[in-house]
Amino acid sequence: MITSGIVETDAAEEFIEEIEKSQDVLPKKIDANPKTVEKGLAKLVLTLIELIRKLLEKQAMRRVEAGSLSDEQIENVGETLMKLENKMEELKEIFGLKDEELNLNLGPLGDLM
Amino acid sequence: MKLYLYGIIDSSNQIKETIYGLEGAGVYNIPFCDIGAVVSEIGQPIQEATEGAVLEHQAVVEKLMADFTVLPVRFQTVIDGRDNLLSMMQSYYKDLKDNLERLHNKFEFGIKVIWPAGKVKENIVKAIKSNEQKMSESDASASKRFMKKKFDKYRMDKEFEAKADKFIKVMDIFFSKFTAEKRIEKLKTENLLLDAVYLVEKDKVSNFREAFEHIKSARPDFKYLFSGPWPAYNFVVLSKKSGLLREPEQADLFDKVTQSQTLVGAKII
Repeated sequence: MITSGIVETDAAEEFIEEIEKSQDVLPKKIDANPKTVEKGLAKLVLTLIELIRKLLEKQAMRRVEAGSLSDEQIENVGETLMKLENKMEELKEIFGLKDEELNLNLGPLGDLM
Repeated sequence: MKLYLYGIIDSSNQIKETIYGLEGAGVYNIPFCDIGAVVSEIGQPIQEATEGAVLEHQAVVEKLMADFTVLPVRFQTVIDGRDNLLSMMQSYYKDLKDNLERLHNKFEFGIKVIWPAGKVKENIVKAIKSNEQKMSESDASASKRFMKKKFDKYRMDKEFEAKADKFIKVMDIFFSKFTAEKRIEKLKTENLLLDAVYLVEKDKVSNFREAFEHIKSARPDFKYLFSGPWPAYNFVVLSKKSGLLREPEQADLFDKVTQSQTLVGAKII
């Protein structure tokens, strides 16, 4: 019976890369020092807005999939979501934030998005 | 006298094998009732988690695993004196004992699987294109084009997840036959299809291993990482928070140990 652990793989480099990718996406803590507090707060607020935007978008897609939206409604929803997305892009640019930064690590619950 | 704590074991007897831990100090067992805390004496609390120190900690835990059931304690746990250690043992005795009994004769194994995400997506796109479109391509307004783009992405993501679920379910059917407990994470990255840890009874280890080989030969286009046996890092459950045993935020550290072992000590197949 072997009791010391072994690691077997035929793709060590690829696994290391993927594990690092899964860990390095998000900072563990929010950077809230006096110089960056504005950006930190913007990041928090925009993350929550982004979450709501994505939920709205997903709900709209579910309704499209179910065929429960008329052509006119699709048009209206599309216009609203498009404007919302454009506005988010503007805000991200103003605060120098990237898509992957708009997320929160909720510890054992995983990432917010 | 500061004591560096490596783990809790299901024995109050002294360790027969000579084991050296951090700073080259001798490792010994401090008994409490019928269990024990394995420690070595340490001059200064460890300021920095160097790879070497992590591996030394890990090596002690693995040596203990050969003779005892071990509850591995988080790296850098230093306790100020024997009395404080015994007081901690007294407070958490029931929890520790319950875990030692539950994890007796069981090892942890890790399985990670990378799938060809790009190819999976390509196939989904093909399938989506050949199926009926919910919205006509001829709809020219910007908002409808936007919705079409979003809807295609939604279908792609949904189908991608469904395929991942299907593969994981099949794999899990094989592994679950031989496991007592499991923790499964799906798609931690687009390529990392499965990141799982399984708790396997000692007498089922070879069956578990065979199941893994079976999966590997059934899907040779996927890439696999098999690791273990390890102490049950991911299966210790405490009813009250002690701050001693490994918690989710410590996962990185131990994952790095696994990565290092991949590079320095692994049997690459």
